[in-house]
Amino acid sequence: MTAVERPAPPPVRTHKADRTWVGKSIRKVEDPKFLRGRGGYIADLVRPGTLHAAVLRSPMPHARIVSIDTSAAEAAPGVHLVVTGARAAELTGPLPDFGPDPTKHTWRCLAAEKVRYVGEGVAVVVADSRYLAEDALELIDVEYEALPPVTDPEAALRPGAAVVHEALGSNLAYERQFDFGNVERDFAEADVVVRDRLRWHRSGGQPLETVGAIADFDPATERLTVHTNSLSFTSYMFMAAGALGIPMNKLDVHQVPAGGSFGSKLFVTKPFVIAGMCSRVLGRPVVYLEDRVDNISNCDHHGSDRVYDVELAVMRDGTMRSLKIDTVDDYGAYIQFGVGHHGNALAQVTGPYTINSVRYRVRAALTNKNQQGAYRGFGSEVNNWMLEQMVDKAAGELGMDPVEIRRKNFIPPESFPYFIPSGNVYDSGNYAAVLDKTLELADYDHWRAEQARAREEGRYIGIGVISAQERSVFSATEFWFWFDEPNAPVTSSPESVTLGVDATGTITATLYSCAFWGNSPETMVAQLVAEEFDVEPHSVSIIYHGTAGGLPATGPGGSRTTVMLAGAVEGASIKIKAKARKAAAHLMEVDPDDLEWVEGGYQVRGVPGQRKGLDEIAAMLHMFKHSFPEEVESGLEESKVFDHPYTTMPNADRSDLGVFYPFMGNACHVPVVEVDIQTGRVSFLAYAAVHDCGTLVNPRSLSGHILGGTAQGIGTALYEEFVYDDEGQLITSSFLDYTIPTAAEMPEMTIGHVETPSPYTPHGIKGGGEGGRMMAPAAINAAVNDALAPLGVRVTELPMTPDRLRAAIRAAGGASSAAR
Amino acid sequence: MVAGAGTGHDGATPESASVRGAAVKPPSFRYSSPATVPDAVALLVEHAEDDARVLAGGQSLVPLMNFRLAHPGFLVDLRRVGGLDSIRMDGDVLVIGAMVRQSAAERSAEVRVAAPLLAEALGHVAHPPIRNSGTVVGSIAHADPAAELPTVALAMDAEMTAVGPQGERRIPAADFFQGPFTTALESDEILTEVRLPQFAGGHAFVEFARTHGNFAVVGVAALLAVTDGRITRAAIAASGVAPTPLRLSAAEQALDGVVPDGAAFRAAVDAGTAGLQPVGDLQGSAATRIDIARAVLRDAIERAAERAQDRR
Amino acid sequence: MTDLHPITLTVNGREYTVAVEPRRLLVDVLRDDFGLTGTHIGCEHGVCGTCTVLLDGASIRSCITLAVQADGAEIRTVEGLADGAALHPLQEEFWDKQGLQCGYCTPGMLLRACELLEQTPDPTAEQVREGIASNLCRCTGYQYIVEAVLAAAPRMRERAAAETPTETTGAQA
Repeated sequence: MTAVERPAPPPVRTHKADRTWVGKSIRKVEDPKFLRGRGGYIADLVRPGTLHAAVLRSPMPHARIVSIDTSAAEAAPGVHLVVTGARAAELTGPLPDFGPDPTKHTWRCLAAEKVRYVGEGVAVVVADSRYLAEDALELIDVEYEALPPVTDPEAALRPGAAVVHEALGSNLAYERQFDFGNVERDFAEADVVVRDRLRWHRSGGQPLETVGAIADFDPATERLTVHTNSLSFTSYMFMAAGALGIPMNKLDVHQVPAGGSFGSKLFVTKPFVIAGMCSRVLGRPVVYLEDRVDNISNCDHHGSDRVYDVELAVMRDGTMRSLKIDTVDDYGAYIQFGVGHHGNALAQVTGPYTINSVRYRVRAALTNKNQQGAYRGFGSEVNNWMLEQMVDKAAGELGMDPVEIRRKNFIPPESFPYFIPSGNVYDSGNYAAVLDKTLELADYDHWRAEQARAREEGRYIGIGVISAQERSVFSATEFWFWFDEPNAPVTSSPESVTLGVDATGTITATLYSCAFWGNSPETMVAQLVAEEFDVEPHSVSIIYHGTAGGLPATGPGGSRTTVMLAGAVEGASIKIKAKARKAAAHLMEVDPDDLEWVEGGYQVRGVPGQRKGLDEIAAMLHMFKHSFPEEVESGLEESKVFDHPYTTMPNADRSDLGVFYPFMGNACHVPVVEVDIQTGRVSFLAYAAVHDCGTLVNPRSLSGHILGGTAQGIGTALYEEFVYDDEGQLITSSFLDYTIPTAAEMPEMTIGHVETPSPYTPHGIKGGGEGGRMMAPAAINAAVNDALAPLGVRVTELPMTPDRLRAAIRAAGGASSAAR
Repeated sequence: MVAGAGTGHDGATPESASVRGAAVKPPSFRYSSPATVPDAVALLVEHAEDDARVLAGGQSLVPLMNFRLAHPGFLVDLRRVGGLDSIRMDGDVLVIGAMVRQSAAERSAEVRVAAPLLAEALGHVAHPPIRNSGTVVGSIAHADPAAELPTVALAMDAEMTAVGPQGERRIPAADFFQGPFTTALESDEILTEVRLPQFAGGHAFVEFARTHGNFAVVGVAALLAVTDGRITRAAIAASGVAPTPLRLSAAEQALDGVVPDGAAFRAAVDAGTAGLQPVGDLQGSAATRIDIARAVLRDAIERAAERAQDRR
Repeated sequence: MTDLHPITLTVNGREYTVAVEPRRLLVDVLRDDFGLTGTHIGCEHGVCGTCTVLLDGASIRSCITLAVQADGAEIRTVEGLADGAALHPLQEEFWDKQGLQCGYCTPGMLLRACELLEQTPDPTAEQVREGIASNLCRCTGYQYIVEAVLAAAPRMRERAAAETPTETTGAQA
């Protein structure tokens, strides 16, 4: 690995040894309102008199809009407004876009001249009710001139393919190759090169609640107030306001609890802009709520859709040396986040292994499909799957045990912080400990014996063992280090919290932008505040602050929430305690250094009788100004804007991308499956998983996310796919065809935890919300391959549907059903 | 040039949910809930030009309307019509009225005794909440090619009683299912009951679905009678291998008079699946459907044979 | 504009009379006309179960039920589970076992679980899994929901034993 000039990491922290609240699986403070059906989701907030929008969507995958006649719709009962894409382009600007060269593939809230995927919106109707709005949609007459659809990413890149965006001239939105370390030398010196071609098809979050926005433009004040369940406000919503031409200081966005997101509610701007546009034209509140068909076809958050050609260079003794990764990613018709998904991959591209060098070539292809967005893992889960497939293949070719080859290549516990070839750092870890614990929980040896017995009976049981990384807390650099001259080299991704202790001593924490989407920011903050101030978590009041008058914040994503909130809470607590200490010292007429914090108050060291509780201190500060010196301000409220604690810049030639995702968790999943080779059905016999996300705030809550993430990973591995046919038609346009697993498909899972704290975060916390899904597809594919190995079948395409498995078994000339 | 504003397409499958309008609120219609069958028929006749339809449980019709794939101008709701919710024996024939909910039929002791095949199949129909509203007769009338109950009706040689302006007629199952979502029922007729002759023998309903409660990719309803160690009667129907549920007469013939053993089952599966030409779709290619059909058919025949022998 | 049909529904013990277009879905009438927003909309084609309510004691999907089809019925929504400040045992156990994350599927899940426990008062884990397969959840992976239902079962049995017959909602015959 080339020697690189690196900024020093932050100082290593020491963590509190005895924790009271951090580490406890308390009941979540958010839950009661949801249990009672008083969640206050976006659809619950629609007030009488609000007008309803519905969007007409294209049935064509690729077509010019020749004409659009809205006269009948405009005259329909209850209709207040009809806006076509052409008119919308006059009323609004392009939507925010972090992609390469956005002017070449301009993205708008409605399509104006051309439609580029089935489901792209072409007009919006606003009416007294959603029923009436949909009635009017049926009266809009659109004439399309069909263009050839592009539905395969590799075909899209071949000469002669129809071009999705004429201004771009081709369907190659972006291409780059990075070489980290000396790849050619490592390959030349290797004993064996393992090669493979892998295909991961797109699936998506499919939360049960869709995205919506209620926009209220007040013509008198020219202020736009928006309630929405899409997230990431403060830092980026001004861009959406820009699309509306509304100054940021006339915009107030309020976050609303979201019924799930899994990334798909990250920064969704269309509902916001459509509702805002209509509200401004009408001067009345307008709600736009996606329905399920809207969401599946047009959520702008389809998951990764990749073809990989990979080579792994290994030594005969199993040492992995180098990786050559060549991936084509089908981005759909737009590319709002650029290739940030590959930044996520590069954060942990070499997995938990001491691989020396990496070549990473990515080509982003545009096709006639809905664009990619964020889905739990944001592109890193695909890398995990690809790498673990290669490790298993290498093990097979070398005649090595899959567990042993992994052990052999693990980064040893004493090597941290460990810089991987791409430049990112792994802050801490103990990969062998995680693997060992999982194998134990999984009763691994028992299942190997069972597998052998089953094979004699003609049954195909497989065990998957994978070890992979789960990065947390992204830096903004991962979206722009792709460009040598980035337009917007953003480096901020803060989170803010205000803590206030009122005159009665009760504590309120204000969160900015950090909405609730099924993670538990309130519970996390309540436990963290409780830990700081020795109070009961359920006594802490949490409020959410909208953008107007709010502090900077980024919101959830990349498993950042708990760490960032912890930093903000810690920072605000330090300030509160500093002021409280001085106040207490003044009141007790002692030196502040003579005081120590004990059980919710300050007391004189060694003299327990001489103390002031926080409530007393607060009461004095709020109401008795004259008890304090001149410079002391009344009240006891402090804020902390907590910036990413460990980000470094990429170097000029991009041979080192800097540190951008430092808090690195690790996990091991061991599923046991049985494959019915007659039908291609995969069932689970057992499933054990161990995650190391550093210190856990609420262990059961994290386990819940592991279970949920794994369930989604099972979906991605076996059931879920957005399927576009060769004509570009979206076949999976509803839940009838997009198959989501039920409780009956899920294995009973055994979850374990290892806690290797981060040296750089409060309490040593690392993020962990995405991990389940980052592991499961790799693990399940490994298990299926293990099951089918005796037939000479190796599956390299997800999801592993009965069709794909039967086709692979037939192709391998495997046991046909004629035997039955 | 292609005109994009389309009309709703009747008889379209829910699987082709239109992305066009992206609608999930139903279009307008007029509605009546009459008290008698003649009144209901009269309404169908009176509003024929408005594409009047019958509403029973609505579990198939309402989703289609939500997608705006169906635009009936008039709905005749059977919920208040007297006498349609009975389960009774008419000699050897089990008669199930039009408004009998699937869950009621599932729980009915009479159904379990007189038509255990139906009872078993009902457990595979969607999920309990759907079965609480959906009706047995409604599912048969809807004739979704992936549905379970039409397959059962076909295997049991059921008769459907249809009442229209011309009076009442009985339609045998073999004539009833004409295509996907298409039956012999006229638009001014109401199915008032399904009549299921008892079968003396063993039964089995087996299906392969991607997830629990999902539509069957392939489903098989099998009835076998065994006397003195040999199969004396077989009735086998399958869904998912043709545009309508299909009687697998070749399998039935292969089983006729044979000892129910592994070799016989294998031969029946070979015969039953030879010549099948299923249409491949997202849930399964043609080849995969045949593979799955072989496995499901085998299971069903084997289980029905076991039960036939247990019955004696 | 079609005629409005008057319907009367008893929801959580309270009678509501309203005139509705026949095309109005039951879920929309509950939410928009009666202000009971605890019942949620997930797919509007009857697959996800998020909209589940109890109608005459039986679980149904209110997104594919026309309001006119519920005329005269007794409906129970999530708002009718708690008894003032006291949570229903299922709500209590969902809280205790963390059987929810985003909470969106929760009302439907709770009502379906009510029915499940009424029909199968002492279920196995397998029976619970199959029983709630009717309701999709994207957050929890279902495992803690199963634990919550199993934990609530004995408490529900106690309750049922203590109740007089007139107080039970009773499953559909």
